[in-house]
Amino acid sequence: MFAVLLALLALLLAGVAPRLMARLVWFRRAPRPALVAWQAVSLAAVIAALAAAPAAVPYLRERGWLVFGMAAAVTLLVLGRLLLSGHRVGTGLRAARARHRELVDILAAPDDGGRADGIRVLAHATPTAYCLPGRRSRVVLTQGALAALPADELDAVIAHERAHLRGRHDLLLEYFTVLHHSVPDPVRSPEALREVRLLIEALADRAAIRTSGPVTTARALMTLARGQAPEASLAAAGDGTTAARMRLLASEPVSPLVSAVMYLYAGAVVALPLTLLWLSWR
Amino acid sequence: MPPPPSAPRLGDLERAVMELLWSGAADRPQGASVREVLEGLPADRDLAYTTVMTVLDRLAKKGLVTRERDGRAWRYTPAGTRESLTAETMRASLGDATDRRTALLHFLDGATPEELDDLRAALSEVEQRRG
Ligand SMILES: [Zn+2]
Repeated sequence: MFAVLLALLALLLAGVAPRLMARLVWFRRAPRPALVAWQAVSLAAVIAALAAAPAAVPYLRERGWLVFGMAAAVTLLVLGRLLLSGHRVGTGLRAARARHRELVDILAAPDDGGRADGIRVLAHATPTAYCLPGRRSRVVLTQGALAALPADELDAVIAHERAHLRGRHDLLLEYFTVLHHSVPDPVRSPEALREVRLLIEALADRAAIRTSGPVTTARALMTLARGQAPEASLAAAGDGTTAARMRLLASEPVSPLVSAVMYLYAGAVVALPLTLLWLSWR
Repeated sequence: MPPPPSAPRLGDLERAVMELLWSGAADRPQGASVREVLEGLPADRDLAYTTVMTVLDRLAKKGLVTRERDGRAWRYTPAGTRESLTAETMRASLGDATDRRTALLHFLDGATPEELDDLRAALSEVEQRRG
């Protein structure tokens, strides 16, 4: 009974909840608790799926082999997919970052262009800014970005990138990417991953607002978008999140009460599969 | 014997050696030997022959230089021009979709020309309400 409930809960949390949460636009105004809620939902889905087999153990006493077998199959399948996806995504990311770091370290000196802050400057006209996360992290700017951004907007960009590095947003993104790829195709929701990406950007934007204010941060977005537009139309362009981020900069942050409710929701969601597992053994 | 160079110093050396190979590529189409690289580097660096060999070996492993046998020694050539490597880096950074979006964390995830009008409207909203 509880094993079946847990399997259903896993399906609900992996397939239905992300689609609903991706539509809660007001979540974006409090990106930190929103990301905690997203992590809670995905973690609860994993717990529910992995707990199906342990929850079916009591059936063995009444020779309920079939129930236990099915629950064990669900658990093993989910575990296998998680491990495989974690391995694939992790290896791919590490290889891509290592290669990129090698190139950046050869092409861009840390002190080029009179910058003493360890920021790497690539000799390229397209304005862009990004960071390479990891143990030996790098913030990378192009000469095009230095030329296009006034000093105050540059500060906003750097604050945004440093927030990514400081908060280890790469791990958060890797976690959600691994889960995304481990969920079977019909259940998986691309809009969930897109929303999580947007929340991570909104979180880094909060850091930029703290150093530079919302208007300067918004102008920096505009400056780089203008410079990248010809390039972006050639390659695969962004996923339309830039305008959403800009609109967020226009809105006031939500009240602490709303954040508290979101944290409570996160806690309750994780408690749900754990409670079911506990009940199954009682 | 000089002490083995530390990791950051090796990074500096790798960059200096690449610069040297790039700037000499026109004069030495057949590549440079370890000895030639050692002599081309500033004397105040006080480098050992084996250090330069290690650096060139690391660069070859990274695929940034190629090497060819020349008698008992190796000759090293840059695997690409500075411009082509920069272009590769930019392609990896701005290039197609999902992979780079997870590998690197961007300030801006690209914008199409059509998106720009939408962005402009949103910017003036920010300026009005938060300015
Ligand atoms: Zn970002």
